[in-house]
Amino acid sequence: MFPELNAILNTSPDNFKQGELILVSDRRADASFLVHHFLSFYLKAGCKVCFLGLAQSFSHYSAVSQRLGVSLTQAKEKGQLLFLEVLNESLDVLLQKTSNTESQALDFLRDPAVGLRGLYDFVRASVSDSGVGGEDDGGGGTVGRWGPPVLLVDDLTVLLSLGVSVGSVLDFSHYCFVTVCSQLKGNMVTLVRCEGEEDEDEDGDEEGSERLLKGLTHQCCLTLHVQGLPTGFCRDIHGQVEVCWRKTQKDKPSNQRKLFQYKVHDKGASFFARGTSSAVL
Amino acid sequence: MLLELIQGTEGGGLIIIQDSIHYSGRTLLMSFIKAALKRDEVVHLLAFELHEEELKHELGHSCLQRLKFHNAFHDPLGWNENPPFTVHQFITSELDSLLTSNQHSKPVTLVIDSFSFILRHLSPSAVCKTLQQLKKGGAVKTTLGLLHSDMHHRNMVGSICHLATSVLTVAPGHQCHEAVAKTIWRAKSGKISQAMERFSISDDMTVKVQSKPVPVGSGQGEAGDAEVDPTANLTFNLRLSDQERQAKEKLALPFVFSKEKKSALLRPGPGSGRILYEPDANDDYDQEDPDDDLDI
Repeated sequence: MFPELNAILNTSPDNFKQGELILVSDRRADASFLVHHFLSFYLKAGCKVCFLGLAQSFSHYSAVSQRLGVSLTQAKEKGQLLFLEVLNESLDVLLQKTSNTESQALDFLRDPAVGLRGLYDFVRASVSDSGVGGEDDGGGGTVGRWGPPVLLVDDLTVLLSLGVSVGSVLDFSHYCFVTVCSQLKGNMVTLVRCEGEEDEDEDGDEEGSERLLKGLTHQCCLTLHVQGLPTGFCRDIHGQVEVCWRKTQKDKPSNQRKLFQYKVHDKGASFFARGTSSAVL
Repeated sequence: MLLELIQGTEGGGLIIIQDSIHYSGRTLLMSFIKAALKRDEVVHLLAFELHEEELKHELGHSCLQRLKFHNAFHDPLGWNENPPFTVHQFITSELDSLLTSNQHSKPVTLVIDSFSFILRHLSPSAVCKTLQQLKKGGAVKTTLGLLHSDMHHRNMVGSICHLATSVLTVAPGHQCHEAVAKTIWRAKSGKISQAMERFSISDDMTVKVQSKPVPVGSGQGEAGDAEVDPTANLTFNLRLSDQERQAKEKLALPFVFSKEKKSALLRPGPGSGRILYEPDANDDYDQEDPDDDLDI
């Protein structure tokens, strides 16, 4: 968890807004450091986290989280973290080896046209109070110990490249929002990655990830958009983050935006206002 | 024109609010709903993208009681058991049964949030057919919907807007709490009026129009209002006093060829160079000054 980002977003593990959909996106940059931030943030806050790991393996997230002071293995053993390691499970699904809840969630791998209803059922089972599904479920009592549920998805663009349509991904996101954010008052964080330039007048041949990004931006409460610096590569500043609050307390679309630059270190990331990097000042 | 549409004096029909990721049209939609409830109309809301909690937040409890809320948010595709309202129920027969369930003689307003969700799941032709039948049917006086124009192909947006009586396109304004609405209204006679207005929405959902409607296409009226004096708020002085202005005008510029300069040049000064020329045998030396006919 990055303390400077918490200050920017005005949150802390003890006090954060519930029922929010946070959209993390990047364009020709890598915003996955923000996913690690949110993962460690919500684990420290004591929430029950359901993590759909589509881009990396569990050991990768575990190694990074170790440096941020959180042990994913321990969280998994305690039942606080439910990790769906898609990379691992996908091979079993494609080779039709076993048939368990995880493989049913991934039936879109064999036929993308089916959509993501199976994956949604898996998510709903993981976060709901009834605690149905999962072999390590210790009964109904485990869920009550933890705070509100949190769903983290890294990342949704992988689904597009697996052949799932943009409409199916948006429907999946809608249903997860309904269950996690609206009904259970939890939070949801998704990552969408875009390639290519942002072109306002492009339509028709728009890439799937652009449409997905726009669709999710309409749904979400907070966006964090990571890009490289417009002036080019810099060793001391890795890029810029644009934070945009779409819905404030009174739901006025004031669209407050703030732009920060960041640098990713070994054990975290630092955020600063433009032009105030320690290398510059 | 925006206020007339909200007050419902323009006679209903199909009103579409087009928004984008830069500015959400939902608050304006709420203003329309609140105004319709104030006029004691029966308002049905088909909410695909809005949940009841959020609606309560925006409209307040009393308005929510009078509104006929149809929950299409929780299960629009029927993935769970007993969905309250699915997107596939957006057909004339289902809507008619929904709208005529209450026997009122008051005018009915149907609000849809949003058309974008419906268009993702139903074909545009089916949606257009349903909207046209609603318009002709007479059960509904006004149909009002939100459309995210950046989510669809331009042609799809165009075909839906073609059916509309009025299309409001909202975009963020220059100031923080302001937005710009471009309104296109088609009268029954066929006349089309357009206007661009700046507006802001207060906490109680009333819309305040900041400027008079500017007919679209008559030039950038907006730019004039926002002109800022560049010589203001500086740490140094860029303005001239009258004395300074006079002195500036008196000053002779160095490379301007004025009368004084010319006479100074023509007068041979002391120590100025003289050219001594010894003509060669081959030279055609003409004593006459070739520049004699010039009149400087």
